Amino acid sequence: MEYQHDVEINGEDKYLNICKHNGLCKKEKDSKDDTDSNKLSHIEKAYTTILSELGEDVDREGLLRTPLRAAKAMQFFTKGYKETIQDILNDAIFDENHDEMVIVKDIDLFSLCEHHLVPFFGKAHIAYLPNKKVVGLSKLARIVEIYSRRLQVQERLTKQIASAISEALEPAGVAVVIEAAHMCMVMRGVQKINASTVTSVMLGTFQDNPTTRKEFLDLTIRK
Amino acid sequence: MEHSKQTQFGSSDKKDAGTSSVVNGHCDGMVKRPAGGPSQPPAAESGSQRPVMESWREDRTRSVEDNEISLPSLAAAYTTILRGLGDDPQRQGLLKTPWRAATAMQFFTKGYQEKLIDVLNDAIFDEDHDEMVIVKDIDMFSMCEHHLVPIFGRVHIGYLPNKRVLGLSKLARIVEIYSRRLQVQERLTKQIAVAITEALQPTGVGVVIEATHMCMVMRGVQKMNSKTITSTMLGVFREDPKTRDEFLTLIRS
Repeated sequence: MEYQHDVEINGEDKYLNICKHNGLCKKEKDSKDDTDSNKLSHIEKAYTTILSELGEDVDREGLLRTPLRAAKAMQFFTKGYKETIQDILNDAIFDENHDEMVIVKDIDLFSLCEHHLVPFFGKAHIAYLPNKKVVGLSKLARIVEIYSRRLQVQERLTKQIASAISEALEPAGVAVVIEAAHMCMVMRGVQKINASTVTSVMLGTFQDNPTTRKEFLDLTIRK
Repeated sequence: MEHSKQTQFGSSDKKDAGTSSVVNGHCDGMVKRPAGGPSQPPAAESGSQRPVMESWREDRTRSVEDNEISLPSLAAAYTTILRGLGDDPQRQGLLKTPWRAATAMQFFTKGYQEKLIDVLNDAIFDEDHDEMVIVKDIDMFSMCEHHLVPIFGRVHIGYLPNKRVLGLSKLARIVEIYSRRLQVQERLTKQIAVAITEALQPTGVGVVIEATHMCMVMRGVQKMNSKTITSTMLGVFREDPKTRDEFLTLIRS
């Protein structure tokens, strides 16, 4: 299925997906912890190299603990790799006889461009047409968090969010629109400060029915 | 301060946590303005405080050749980071990322390659003008030296010329030199103000920066709408509240 293919391309840790029970078993958690602190120190050393190669003085006061802080920050920015949909949905799927559009818009989104390792950020707007099952609203924002806290390409991020909701809820339709500013375009390269990138994915009724799509777009991005 | 690439000052300066410490390619904390007097031209500063006032003549800590030489080790460091984060550096989207990220980071710190005196390009003109000159809303992009994450915002600069004016774009170029480094917003504000003072010896300089710090927005406390505002007022901007007021009002409008 296309969703799985995208998940693998994004380097998601496959053995975590194989664990179908809730949470990691103790043995895996222990081995993961060891690997994590090793990884942190490798990343920290890499940042020390980067600072000195950039011409800075790594012993000056302001930079003394920067490699560690930068390594932890980078791990935070990519924490989505360790999270799975099953964990965050937390059984917050409810049977509800509601088949009208549900929209959660203006979800702040922060991600890292996988090409330059520089942030891009913006807003995500999500809508779905429930098919007897609704999801806790904050879980839509949590799904955005899982996929955005990774090294990403905006097109893939949009598709992953839509596919995840589709898989979890089996709704009649899902629509996801992301508008974001890419620092790799703003701070460097072509340096266009006001440019913003908009991507969208429409599944199910949103794709087949133009009126549904128009309703969603009117309620979200048309100001 | 000793850099890996260049030694400008004696090592005795390095460990001194007081006012003679040199930071970020520029002396920090050394601008001492007498509370009641007008701004002094650089030569009048006492000899023991020589470094800051001549900092605009100091050598760059990095050159274009250094960039090419460093690129492979930077790229290797980024490959280690990618692997450490759990992603696969061999997948198609990440294949050239270490090189792109390394070049991007060199661009974000290109201020280390630039010297004030080159950027000013002799664009200092004698002009009998002593009214306030303001250049505002200069977009600024910098990198937080604590987390290596972007800072972006706007800089507003005002100065009162003392028979010499500066090409207007040179104010923006001064912002670029100091912002394209690993920075702390307080220091950036002061460095810009001191650089303009050294270049022009004006009657007064005011610099205000309002910026968003991604280290606060994307991580940590995660406050989306927070902004940090810092200002440096030198000379008559510091001493005369009315001048300062005029400057602050004009940058708000």
